[in-house]
Amino acid sequence: MSGEIELRNLTKRFDQTVAVDAINLKIPHGSYCCLLGPSGCGKTTILRMIAGHETPTEGDVWIGGESVVGLAPAGRGTAMMFQNYALFPHLSVLDNVAFNLKMRGVRKAERHRRARELLAQVRLDRFADRMPSQLSGGQQQRVALSRALITKPRVLLLDEPLSALDEFLRLQMRGELRRMQKELGITFVHVTHTQLEAIAVADLVVVMDQGRIEQAGSAREIYTLPVSAYVARFMGGQNVLAGKVASVAGGFATLVGDTGERFSSPLSGQTVAEGDMLHCCVRRDRVKLERDRRPPGAPPERTNAVVGAVHAIEYQGSYVKVTIDVPGREPFVANVADGRFFADPVDIGDPVLAWWAPEDVHLLTGGLGRSVRVTTFRQAGDSHG
Amino acid sequence: MTRLHHLLAAPLACLLLVFFGVPLVLVVTVSFFDFDQFDIIPTFVLTNYLELFGSSLTYSLYANTVKYAVIVWALTLVIGFTVSYFLVFHVRPFLLQLALFLVCTVPFWTSNVIRMISWIPFLGRNGIFNQSLIALGIVDQPLEFLLFSDFAVVIAYVHLFSLFMIVPIFNSMARIDPAVIEAAVDAGAGRFRVIREIVVPLSKTGIAMGSIFVVALVMGDFFVVKIMSGGQSASVVLAMSNEIAVLQYPPAAASAVVLLLVVTAMVVGILRIVDVRRELAG
Amino acid sequence: MHRPGSGRRPWTFYALAAFFGLYVLFLYGPMSAIFILSFQGPTGGLTFPMNGVSLHWFGALFGQQRTGDFAGSFTRSILLAVIVLSITVAASVMAGLAFRRRFLGSTLVFYMAIFSLIIPGLLLGLGVGLMFQFLGIKPAWYSSALGAQLTWTLPFGLLIMFAVFSRFNPFYEEAARDLGAGYGQTLWNVVLPILLPGIIAVALFGFTLSYDEFPRTLIPIGSRNTLPLEIWAMTTNVTSPALYALGTLTTAVSFVVIAVALTSIALIQRRRTRRGTRTDAGD
Repeated sequence: MSGEIELRNLTKRFDQTVAVDAINLKIPHGSYCCLLGPSGCGKTTILRMIAGHETPTEGDVWIGGESVVGLAPAGRGTAMMFQNYALFPHLSVLDNVAFNLKMRGVRKAERHRRARELLAQVRLDRFADRMPSQLSGGQQQRVALSRALITKPRVLLLDEPLSALDEFLRLQMRGELRRMQKELGITFVHVTHTQLEAIAVADLVVVMDQGRIEQAGSAREIYTLPVSAYVARFMGGQNVLAGKVASVAGGFATLVGDTGERFSSPLSGQTVAEGDMLHCCVRRDRVKLERDRRPPGAPPERTNAVVGAVHAIEYQGSYVKVTIDVPGREPFVANVADGRFFADPVDIGDPVLAWWAPEDVHLLTGGLGRSVRVTTFRQAGDSHG
Repeated sequence: MTRLHHLLAAPLACLLLVFFGVPLVLVVTVSFFDFDQFDIIPTFVLTNYLELFGSSLTYSLYANTVKYAVIVWALTLVIGFTVSYFLVFHVRPFLLQLALFLVCTVPFWTSNVIRMISWIPFLGRNGIFNQSLIALGIVDQPLEFLLFSDFAVVIAYVHLFSLFMIVPIFNSMARIDPAVIEAAVDAGAGRFRVIREIVVPLSKTGIAMGSIFVVALVMGDFFVVKIMSGGQSASVVLAMSNEIAVLQYPPAAASAVVLLLVVTAMVVGILRIVDVRRELAG
Repeated sequence: MHRPGSGRRPWTFYALAAFFGLYVLFLYGPMSAIFILSFQGPTGGLTFPMNGVSLHWFGALFGQQRTGDFAGSFTRSILLAVIVLSITVAASVMAGLAFRRRFLGSTLVFYMAIFSLIIPGLLLGLGVGLMFQFLGIKPAWYSSALGAQLTWTLPFGLLIMFAVFSRFNPFYEEAARDLGAGYGQTLWNVVLPILLPGIIAVALFGFTLSYDEFPRTLIPIGSRNTLPLEIWAMTTNVTSPALYALGTLTTAVSFVVIAVALTSIALIQRRRTRRGTRTDAGD
């Protein structure tokens, strides 16, 4: 049976608030999909509608080519792993895993045998007779996984599966999840609010905001080629810049910022017109930094550069994160390789010039409606955009 | 879904309706009925109420009962707050806290009548308390006011009803996040400032619940007054029970209705100050 | 405040501990006095000193001399308490399930329960008595008195279920449904077992509140007394330590019931949380 999931115009309203707003999404069979977004963006609601714990207000959920709206959770071929695992506290590990078989009337010996098999797969067979509260967080998670998998689902739904674990276990378990998904070959839908978790495990990352999908694509696409300022900011690793298109020529667009900086960006097939208000972004690790020896306050003469004073310096091991206060803009970040930084270390308050190559700029043509938001980052005196 | 919920709530709702709702309506109805030596006469009269309000005895009964209620409320509040405060904020580990809390609640599950009469050998003229005082040379004559007096009534009330204050206040206090207290201490609040500014406001649901219980219980009591005052004092319900004993149901019902209104007014007054339901639901 | 790690306890700790100690003494002191006095010698009186130690007064309870129908009222009380317990548990658990969502009339039922709790007991008894009189049914311990006691135990049951459900994580039910359990299966295999400690608490309240109930039962009891009413009658006409013996016996029964209930709750909790951390937090 195919674990392809298709959401068609899926909408969920609670009283007056719209939790999920007319979502369309196709998740291929056997893929690992992450629904990513801040809390309250509707990602968990989508998961619960796929599972059947929530009924859509409008729209449809298709799994394996048929609509499952109206079917009981257990009749959908899905299994869910709950945020805090929801392991039954009154049942032993073995009985937790065997629960589904018991509900289906499988004899005790048989269901225990199969539960033990599954527990052995996650190396927990020797804990079979323990109670859930006697297990560590990581072990509980594996029990929850076994309990879900005993139903032989075509789709496994995971609600913040790693949030209850400490940092070390989280890294270990996310690798484990990815490995299991490959082995089982079924569809995983994993809800998280952690960007790094999503891009580490997913084939398909779906970035959400306010009940809508901002962007769906591979991890690399989402990270390097965000479609909107929202995605760029949310994923991190990018500096978002705003400007008005001054000219379009030779496959490049030139934007002029409020304070006169000029940014040049490859069009990469996107169509923009002169006069458009646009965002573009530049990756933090592509930014070069040098001391600004010109009189303070002068705008940069070159294209694709900003000037400002160093606001914060954070050593990150392989690189140094330098945050620059650019007058009239949101803070600008340069991730400087540690060798290069320490060759001529700048200090907090030093005036610097940050610049980058035009090829490293990416235009954000999606989510144009959100440019209004940019004003919130500007200083009060400059908010005329 | 709501149909299922109605179905599930139906047994409790019906039982309460039949054994609380209907009887309540009957009491109100009968309070307007006439009566003779043998029977209730179903005609509408106001004589029961007129006699009730025309009698100075009614007012002195209420004065006496309210006096008990206020004294007992104040004492149980002090005890309830202090005991809960000690258990919640001073007793560790959790299991010891739970054990001591249970020590306070176990008597709740035993007979009130027995607990009340257990004061008789204790407070009596030749009781343990007097004997100890004499043995210690504090007094040379037994104290007479200990038993069969207002003092004995109040002692028994506090003994029986202080649990109703401790349990809700303990529950409220146990839900206070210790970090809130620590934050107040960090902000420079002394021990008593913390109690006044943090603990009391955050325990007010429990205080209100306990107050409702204690006030309602004292206002509705008759057996403690009867036994512990040795017949020297009376309460509203004790007078009512005497009427019932001679089968004068209509005046007893009128008295009951007035009492119910008074108690309801007191409870509503408490609820005015603290919205218990909102905090119960949360 | 008790500051962890500060080593020495503040003076308030000792003051409060002393207060608590005195309160416990106040709570149990007089009770223990009558327990001791119930073993009074045959010639002893209602107060100390003890004139020897004997089981004479316990014997007097079972003899037919002056102490009324002890065995009969005791049996009735236990039976009634078991019936009240059963109805209270069933109705409260069902209502607890219902009250997890607001439904039409939920506020009315809630206020009815609260007022049923605080209404003066004798008044309620009067109402129930009147109802049976108007219906022409003879009041009896298993009908009118049962109903009157339920008005006392059901509100407690409901309030306990509120507390129990406020800590119940609804994800358990979703997980069960996800794993193929129907509504009934979820209830039977997941919800009720998880709530078992709370249900036992409701049962404890149902039993003990009924077993000791007196003001509500007094009027609608009919011709045959329950134990508390028998004791009530004795307080006015029995002036021997037999009264204390009865008090000791009935309290011992209460203690046994309390011990059984609390021990079973403790055992269930221990089974679930032997070592390890608690994971069933609702948040």
